[in-house]
Amino acid sequence: MVKVLLVGEAAREHAIAEAICRSSHDPKLYAVMRLRNPGIDSLCKVTGGESVLGNSQDPKFVVETAKKFHVDFVFVGPEEPLFRGTADELEKEGIPCIGAKRGPAELEMSKAFMRRLMWKYRIPGRLRFKAFKNVEDAIAYIHEYAESVALKPARQAGGKGVKVIADLQAYLTSEKTHVKREHAKAIHEKYMKDYRDIDDRILIEERVEGPEYTLQAFTDGRTVKPLPLVQDNKNAFEMDIGPETGGMGSIAGKGMFLPFITEEEYRKSVEIVKNCVRAVEKETGEKYKGIVSGQMMCTASWGPTIIEFYSRLGDPEAVNVLPILKTDIIEICEAIIDEKLNKIKLKFENVATVVKCVAPKGYPEERNLAKGHPLHVDVDMVKKLGCKVYFASTNLQPDGKIISGGSRLVEIFGKGKTIPEASRKVEACIPYVWLEDGWGVFHRSDIGSEQLLEKRIEQANLIRAVYKYRARKGLIGKTIEWIPKKGKIIIET
Amino acid sequence: MGGIVGIYGFSKEWRMARFVYYALLALQHRGQENCGIVTFNGESLSQYKGSGLVDQVFSNQNILDELPGWIGIGSVTSTIEKDSSKIQPVIVWEPIPLALCFDGKILNIKDLVEKEKVNGENEAEILAKIFSLELEQTGNPMEAMVNFMGKIKGAYSLIVLTGKGEMIVGRDPAGIKPLTIGSFGFDYGVVASESCVMDVIGADFKNDVQPGEVYHFDAYSIERKQVLKPNPKFCAFEYVYYARPDSILNGKSIYEVRMKIGEKLAEEHSVNKGEIVLGVPETAIPFAMAYSNKTKTPLGIGFVQTGRRIRSAIKPTEFERIVGVQLKLNPIRAAIAGKKIVLVDDSVVRGTTTKNTVNIMRNRMGAKEVHVRIGSPRLIAQCPFGTDVPPKDELIAVHLNAEEVSKVVGADTFHWLSLKGLVEAIGIPRKNLCLGCFTGKYPQINCKER
Repeated sequence: MVKVLLVGEAAREHAIAEAICRSSHDPKLYAVMRLRNPGIDSLCKVTGGESVLGNSQDPKFVVETAKKFHVDFVFVGPEEPLFRGTADELEKEGIPCIGAKRGPAELEMSKAFMRRLMWKYRIPGRLRFKAFKNVEDAIAYIHEYAESVALKPARQAGGKGVKVIADLQAYLTSEKTHVKREHAKAIHEKYMKDYRDIDDRILIEERVEGPEYTLQAFTDGRTVKPLPLVQDNKNAFEMDIGPETGGMGSIAGKGMFLPFITEEEYRKSVEIVKNCVRAVEKETGEKYKGIVSGQMMCTASWGPTIIEFYSRLGDPEAVNVLPILKTDIIEICEAIIDEKLNKIKLKFENVATVVKCVAPKGYPEERNLAKGHPLHVDVDMVKKLGCKVYFASTNLQPDGKIISGGSRLVEIFGKGKTIPEASRKVEACIPYVWLEDGWGVFHRSDIGSEQLLEKRIEQANLIRAVYKYRARKGLIGKTIEWIPKKGKIIIET
Repeated sequence: MGGIVGIYGFSKEWRMARFVYYALLALQHRGQENCGIVTFNGESLSQYKGSGLVDQVFSNQNILDELPGWIGIGSVTSTIEKDSSKIQPVIVWEPIPLALCFDGKILNIKDLVEKEKVNGENEAEILAKIFSLELEQTGNPMEAMVNFMGKIKGAYSLIVLTGKGEMIVGRDPAGIKPLTIGSFGFDYGVVASESCVMDVIGADFKNDVQPGEVYHFDAYSIERKQVLKPNPKFCAFEYVYYARPDSILNGKSIYEVRMKIGEKLAEEHSVNKGEIVLGVPETAIPFAMAYSNKTKTPLGIGFVQTGRRIRSAIKPTEFERIVGVQLKLNPIRAAIAGKKIVLVDDSVVRGTTTKNTVNIMRNRMGAKEVHVRIGSPRLIAQCPFGTDVPPKDELIAVHLNAEEVSKVVGADTFHWLSLKGLVEAIGIPRKNLCLGCFTGKYPQINCKER
């Protein structure tokens, strides 16, 4: 028997829980959650374990719970407990943890640290950036350089607060500058308000464009074992219109790649992630043990480029890959703990997968409106239709009612020979999710459709042609400018 | 005729007026008499409108800074309005405050005025009042639009911006007037008559708003609904003349259609041993290029424009049209003198402008021969849906055949494109096109197809 304590309460953790419960090592699942996720709760019960409500972000509470149940190891789902040193605290008690320690987790926690690291170790796929310790300097910079940028909180702030501004029309620059300035203030006053654990406040990066994808991997610090590539869809509404969400659904496969990412690009992406894992160990002196994910983009400057790092699985990306993982996840976890990941061969079902999120109206901008509604999901019907339900921001009440927590409600997973086939299967399940009080829900029917795939392929081909041209001209990692009276200038990118 | 745009910011730090202004510049070719912008800042609607071209009405750019808010709509129109408050977007304050702009023509406007007991000086004002009443009754913009579209009969693309910051967009079930949708990152959504707007304001073009489809934008959602059963009858004149060549409408690139029209002209009526092909700027340039490619006749530049770009053919008076053409078409002698010329133009309405052009080429520039090819079929009927085509008794093609027209305009030969050629060039099945101005047969528009 293996006892595992899972930390976290989202659909990602539901998928992790399910993978653990599929293990042949007689798993007993325990969970620490802020809201009672009905999926995780039921898996704990089925395996004879237990779920505990409490602050999953508090390392002390996690350690206490782990000790109370004498678990063999802890699996941390979300990033925030890692940033607060959960893995470090567990190590002190001799409890192994799947999830990076505070040091290596800095790769995700501080976007400024990550960029500096990539520059210091000359890792390909890096972007030009400036980090600011106060808002005044950031605003001064914005006024001085009118260009296309991404404005980010310097620390990971629950995935919120990033604004990408293409500033390509000189006649609209005054408006774009206004928005950049207002957003820099918002980062300082709103998104970074509660975080005092790093010095940098605002990050301004060069803006890049291209198809985005996530490379998730297990690592024991020595070996990096990648999972199939996944693409998330961040706009709230169809046709990629609408505000940014945590993700409205994701596609993967068939196999390790995506239809718009070549094998060469995949290999380069893996290489970049490996380089970063090595660099972070050199920099912090600590082994990276757990999960590392590159939030990547195929750009004109580099081809594969790092946008951000995750020290955890993506959500919804985890839900694409864990249900098709054929290798026993407990064996993978034990190999990570023992630093023997090189002995493990990851196997996946050779299928395409699609995950679609169903969200309450109000998400993502007006979460107070999205909160507190009773959810109905016909889990059996979804099962009959060949798909699976993963519960997201939901809270199981003692009376059995499931109440919305303000974010995405459920994620529905489907698989097929092709992405569109999987998408159609998931689509058939959507009518079986609703809110009992009549409050509206929405999802994106276009995720995984032929039309959207075609658009992604078209975009990737366009970008690929540019970076290949740049490669032919020896311009990868640099741009050459000629400035009157100054002459030729080579700028490293 | 007109052009409309609506831009919906997803966050409040955006100031949309300047985006709407540039969008209207990109739609200027669709209406050159009036323009206006209405914005919403969370509290109320602000407006600025006037008669003239967009950059004339908004010549003082400070006006844009005084139109606050993250949601904005705007329009350009080609009908003369005496009262500037009636220029689109029209605002009504009672019972529910809202602004409305539209491109098209409502056929049952008189019935509506009687039935709904509203009055107004123009269609836009009447529509705005009816919508306001619907909104009062239903309390829900999407439902109001469903009822509203069930009542109005005609060709329209329209945008409503309510005093609560909801934007509702609809296209008639025949889709006669174009309407496209796009977006900019996570920041705003755009609807506009033509996709060229997206390029000009830096947004990404996504799709057409489909015939009979409605979009509803509010602070926390975008809802799409097929409100009326689609029965596409896309306006063919958009492809020949109206739309900009950098636009994509109903899934077809205007530029590509115009290149195909040029090829069709070459296939149908090529000029034997023509020495140079000249297109009349600007619409006919792609026709001329494709004709040249197909026939291997060299392409030249025949004319240079004086003053600002205007659309001479849609000017309201004959005098303004002639002034427009004369300024637009200053001929280049070296391209014309002593040559056998293929002159390609987009349409012939009354024949006066073609006559003027051919005369100058022949009498003053010394062209050896002038063979006129027109990239549209015979224009024989007035458009009931608001495209600015004059009445039948002013259309030369109703009264004369090609040989007779050639004598009137002073050309050696004269040919229109065939109807079949046009349909093939557009590449949309004939049953899904409105070809009324070339056939006299207009699609029957029903308002109650659900």
